[in-house]
Amino acid sequence: MNRILHTIIMISLILLVIGLAMVLSTGGLGFTVPPSGIRSLAIIFLNTTFNLDAKYRYISAMSPEAVTAIVWDYRGLDTLFETSVMFIAIVGALAISRGATEKLLKSFPSTQGMSLIVRTITRIAIVMILAVGGSIALHGHLTPGGGFQGGATIAVAPMLLIITFSIYLFSKMVTVYKAVTLRSVGLIGIALSAFIVLFVALIHSSSAYIFQNQPKLYSYYGLPSYIEPTVLGGTLFLFNTFETLAVAFGFAALFILFMLPEDAVRNVIMGEE
Amino acid sequence: MEVESFLFNIVVLSMFVNMTIALYGILMKPSLVKKIIALTIFSDTINTLAIIVGFRHAEPNPIPPVITEIPPSLQHLRLFVLQAVDPLPQALVLTAIVIGLAVVLFLMFVTLQIYRIYGTTDVRKISKLRG
Repeated sequence: MNRILHTIIMISLILLVIGLAMVLSTGGLGFTVPPSGIRSLAIIFLNTTFNLDAKYRYISAMSPEAVTAIVWDYRGLDTLFETSVMFIAIVGALAISRGATEKLLKSFPSTQGMSLIVRTITRIAIVMILAVGGSIALHGHLTPGGGFQGGATIAVAPMLLIITFSIYLFSKMVTVYKAVTLRSVGLIGIALSAFIVLFVALIHSSSAYIFQNQPKLYSYYGLPSYIEPTVLGGTLFLFNTFETLAVAFGFAALFILFMLPEDAVRNVIMGEE
Repeated sequence: MEVESFLFNIVVLSMFVNMTIALYGILMKPSLVKKIIALTIFSDTINTLAIIVGFRHAEPNPIPPVITEIPPSLQHLRLFVLQAVDPLPQALVLTAIVIGLAVVLFLMFVTLQIYRIYGTTDVRKISKLRG
């Protein structure tokens, strides 16, 4: 029975490859070589990403970086819901490991971590990782990068710290509680940034759209996109900053929970029954 | 041009094969850890495929598509559109990678908890457990 199932799955997977190859050879991707042009949709995005022309002024995102403009302006609500998927995934992981906090570490003897060479090199590397991560995140409205990438880069730092200096030392710096709090600050910041132009418009007794960045038709409010010669990026900069906080500290909390000693967590789980 | 077409198709076809191997791992491997590894290979392949779809062949070798004038003149913007790749797949993939990471971490927590409670990550044994 098991062998028959195995054979069926193997044959169907091979048929899948052959089918996909046939689709590809008959132009299923729309092309068989990399095309020299781009789609008309991409031309619209690229044309309106930073355009002061009167025709495009009120549909432009006013950011020189098209990808960040798409992520947080054209498709802002989409990204908000994707962030909420990440939020729910992290909440689920925290809920599964409930009861396991760094307080458990006190009942176990602390260990020293790795050798002096590794610790010294990590001290140097951590500074560089944080600098690069911050640079990626805060220049997200200018160059390729943004909150997601910067946050994921910064999240490497707690991982390295935990491995080289041991979880005992790291949990004195950042606890799960603190990490989750800072992550919530990031999420609240994202929520407020979505409404900030609406607040500005309400003060002027007018109205604006949710997730509005630049002035639009019928709603001529927006955060400044550039003050000569500095590009500020409007709300994109705020979104990137808060998203960095949310991503970096969300992952930091999960890494701490992952690295808790197996015996301590096992005691918690078995104690519940 | 024919060599380019051949090489490009080889790359895309190898991604299809990679996807299928990952699907085989997800379906047939009994260990949950190996299923998660196969899932990450699958999602990474899909992400690379999305990037490939947005790829373009610019001739001659272009300077990087960056807006250097603030605010850009119309001529500069026209040049920018001629050189840049499709930004939409990149925007979709960059969120997909980080969210994939969070989902994989969640799955790893579930697997770890299953291992702690039942002492196995073999789905054949877990499915036989009662109570």
